[in-house]
Amino acid sequence: MSHIKNDKLQRLVVGRGANDSAAISRAPSLPSLCVSLLGGSAYHPIAVEAIKPLAQRSEGYSLTVPSDGSPAQLTSETTLGLLRGLTTFRFDQLWYDLQGLTYSYQAPVKIVDDAPAFPYRGFILDTSRNFFPINDIKRTLDAMSSVKINMFHWHIVDQHSFPLDVPEFPELAVNGAYSSSEIYTPADVQDIISYAAVRGIDVLMDIDTPGHTAAIAYSHPEHIACPFSTPSATFASEPPAGQLRIASQATTNFAANLISSVATMVSSTMFSTGGDELNTNCYTQDNQTQAELRSSGKTLDQALDVFLQAEHAADMILNHNITLGNDTIAIVWKTSADAPSIAARNFRFIHQPSDYFYLDCGAGGWEGNDPSGNSWCDPFKTWQRAYIFNPLENLTSSQVALCLGGQQPLWTEQSGPENLDPITWPRAASSAEVFWTGATLPNGMPRNDTSALARLHDIRYRMVQRGHQAIRLQPHWCALRPGLCDLGS
Amino acid sequence: MAHILALILTALVVCSPAFALWPLPKDLQTGSKALRLADDFDIQLSVQRAPADLQAAVARTKGYLKTDKLQRLVVGRGENDRTAIKSAKELSSLTVSLTSNETVRSISEEAMDALEDRVETYSLTVPGDGSDATLKANSTLGLFRGLTTFGQLWYEFDDITYTLEAPIQIKDAPAYPYRGFMLDTARNYFPISDIMRTLDAMSWVKINTFHWHIVDSQSFPLEVSGFTEISGKGAYSATDVYTSKDVEEIVSYAAARGIDVMVEVDTPGHTDAIGQSHPEHIACNQGTPWATFANEPPAGQLRFTNTATVNFTTDLIAAVAKMFPSKYFSTGGDELNEACYAADTQTQQELNATGKTLEQALSTFTVSTHQALLKLQKTPVVWEEMVLAHNVTLSNTTIVMVWISSDDVVAVAKKGYRFIHAASDYFYLDCGAGGWVGANPSGNSWCDPFKTWQFSYSFDPTGNLTTEESKLVMGGEHLLWTEQSNQHNLDPIVWPRAASGAELFWTGPGKNISTALPRLHDVAFRMEQRGIGTIPLQPLWCALRPGTCDLTA
Repeated sequence: MSHIKNDKLQRLVVGRGANDSAAISRAPSLPSLCVSLLGGSAYHPIAVEAIKPLAQRSEGYSLTVPSDGSPAQLTSETTLGLLRGLTTFRFDQLWYDLQGLTYSYQAPVKIVDDAPAFPYRGFILDTSRNFFPINDIKRTLDAMSSVKINMFHWHIVDQHSFPLDVPEFPELAVNGAYSSSEIYTPADVQDIISYAAVRGIDVLMDIDTPGHTAAIAYSHPEHIACPFSTPSATFASEPPAGQLRIASQATTNFAANLISSVATMVSSTMFSTGGDELNTNCYTQDNQTQAELRSSGKTLDQALDVFLQAEHAADMILNHNITLGNDTIAIVWKTSADAPSIAARNFRFIHQPSDYFYLDCGAGGWEGNDPSGNSWCDPFKTWQRAYIFNPLENLTSSQVALCLGGQQPLWTEQSGPENLDPITWPRAASSAEVFWTGATLPNGMPRNDTSALARLHDIRYRMVQRGHQAIRLQPHWCALRPGLCDLGS
Repeated sequence: MAHILALILTALVVCSPAFALWPLPKDLQTGSKALRLADDFDIQLSVQRAPADLQAAVARTKGYLKTDKLQRLVVGRGENDRTAIKSAKELSSLTVSLTSNETVRSISEEAMDALEDRVETYSLTVPGDGSDATLKANSTLGLFRGLTTFGQLWYEFDDITYTLEAPIQIKDAPAYPYRGFMLDTARNYFPISDIMRTLDAMSWVKINTFHWHIVDSQSFPLEVSGFTEISGKGAYSATDVYTSKDVEEIVSYAAARGIDVMVEVDTPGHTDAIGQSHPEHIACNQGTPWATFANEPPAGQLRFTNTATVNFTTDLIAAVAKMFPSKYFSTGGDELNEACYAADTQTQQELNATGKTLEQALSTFTVSTHQALLKLQKTPVVWEEMVLAHNVTLSNTTIVMVWISSDDVVAVAKKGYRFIHAASDYFYLDCGAGGWVGANPSGNSWCDPFKTWQFSYSFDPTGNLTTEESKLVMGGEHLLWTEQSNQHNLDPIVWPRAASGAELFWTGPGKNISTALPRLHDVAFRMEQRGIGTIPLQPLWCALRPGTCDLTA
């Protein structure tokens, strides 16, 4: 309700709604919105519905706003569905302000059985390259919720820092966090999880292993091969190098205990163990790993298999011969072209292709002494580029069900709280619509980037009214004149 | 042999401590003693009838010394300095004085002197034994630059403000007189508090010119006395306007910080916003398809063949020039679209009637607006096309801005005009953020890729120029065009990258990029302590470990 009162968003048209004043003055008043749950089934709080397994999540709803002044109706079978109906492109986005009057110019509105095309619609934030205070994360969760994103994939630790205080392993954060104030305590994690859940968002925790773990070496050098080895480019895709000694039994036990400790801190039914960018040379150069492989008679991939009994990631499946349970979900990140081969192996998967969705691409190389360096995934991914992504491309009809959805990530080598909002919003809203709306709009027309722009401007300006530092996608002149700044117009 | 020498020199530079001054002074000697500020540390202003802006600058510097609380960017953030700090000598005073006996002028006046008359030289001595530090200059502007340097010397640990590199001796002067930053406030509007915050950050890295691209085709936010209808109809809204009071406030805020405000009223292209109130002066007003008539929507250019339009523009430029005390004024002149005039019946009729070519008419127009400026003792500034693409009569005092490409520098120099580096291939802060035009999912920015601080830093201002031509280089600037920016991403898109150009044009080119990075981290973190939303250039891990995240490390 407070959004409807406080948004005070004027229409994005020339005159900002001044031309509506006559129509508004004789418009009927909407007295109320009646929110009700359908059916006799027992209902649960949003926070409970939001963290159910993907297959059991029910987010559908129907909304009717009559134009004659009779009450509006919002119905759903779940509280989560009611939340979806209350937010985003639907109810609380219908209203504009003109001189203190809140009005819609689109009545009557009838939305029947709106429901997401895909159950997984996420955003990834890396809080290891640079730290993000929890207030910034909460603000981001608010924005996510306003576009019906339902997964916060929290890439909480990595090679640069280990900001998570794990009760059984306090030494990891004490030595591996950037400072004692740049730590997420168990209370912080609980705070984030419950803040997210009541907004319909499940928190998927990511402890990236066995690569990307140099920060563990500050407290447990015995578990890390090639810690901080140089030249770092030979041992890791970015500095500092360091990977868990997967061939060591002690390290395998340590990692398993660590993962299970973190898993008990979170309530989601999903958990990510990462598994990207494993560097073979690091293990080749590590005497201990080589000795352990020799004594056990295993290959590196066999050792990895043992290490990762229950661990999951896309390039694990593609590049390594790993045994994974078929309930594993793969995240396709390198390129969208990898999705069909994951599907061919019958794994469920999430789209996160760097060639469409990476929010950090195009901001230049960040490594020092490299004046000509560009980002590895140039160019910048515009909202339009993300929007035209086809989640079902090159999938057979029997593979369609394997696609659970997708997410836009922010890797934070060059981001901190200072540019979190501008680099994320409104671009991350692009994939939010791709995976909620699917191929066709509610009116049956194909989803189309040209007509989407005006709506994206709208949600961007609304986000600004709600305190998010979302960037301008175009000069304001264009935002007020849909279509006039299109290519070819 | 030369190679061996170069290697040794590089090694020496790399081994020297990462002294965190930005821009790096011309001549800097440091020691390795710890020195802390006494609790009652004070800055003594030993200047007769010290101008108010100098007193205010001293007060701001004292404030920063207290509130910066920047910890050293090393592992432990200064923890290892604890012992050295405890036993360090205390500095209790910095004495600030002028070396000349001439009439004392304010920073603000000196900041607006002609480029060739601007004196920014200073010398700063901080002894290692606790005796008084001294800052001397023969201008208050020079003293201001020195205060800025002094404010960057100090770190905080455990409530102690200290340096580890006393004694310090600095003799400093800029390599180039023009070190700018350009902001476009027409594509999207910026509130004046955001501009002021930007001016503060500019002054901390000794940028001395705010090039204010205040109006353009999308909006005309400047309220001009006698022409209030232009902003009345051409601003985005009644609140998205800069009033004459706002302008005065920004000009004096800038001047007190050693910054001259050079306004730009881009003509005759980029003027469609004038068409909202004066359609009679605008050819191809919002003409479509826009791509035929302009580089970006909306199309619309001044009808410079029309005498009424020439007079209107001349009066407008004179009226704006009177609002800004700077000796410099830019009339723009980029991206003139000829198809717009070819399709404009009125322009064609006027050309027929006068028998002039379009170029001749453009010259008449430009001479008229520039005469108005010269009459007001202002030096005209133009974009490069005015000398490279058109045949326009210009005063030989005109300053040219090279923007299209650094490849055009030599051609501009050959024309004999003084010029400013603003090349898109090195200094455009908006490049690389994707295409913003709609219905164009594969669109990238026209000037891809993103310009990193390192790339800007590697620019050579006198590359391919003769010694004589090199004297024409006034300096350079970073620029932010704001199709995809407003106050929400102003800080992150500008800082710390624009500091790269600030050092390039203060210290001069050819400095080591690897040792520059820790200093740039340092100034960025200090800016953040002072309330600027600078981005991290690297993971904090790298910032605490200089060199470790270099390409070949």
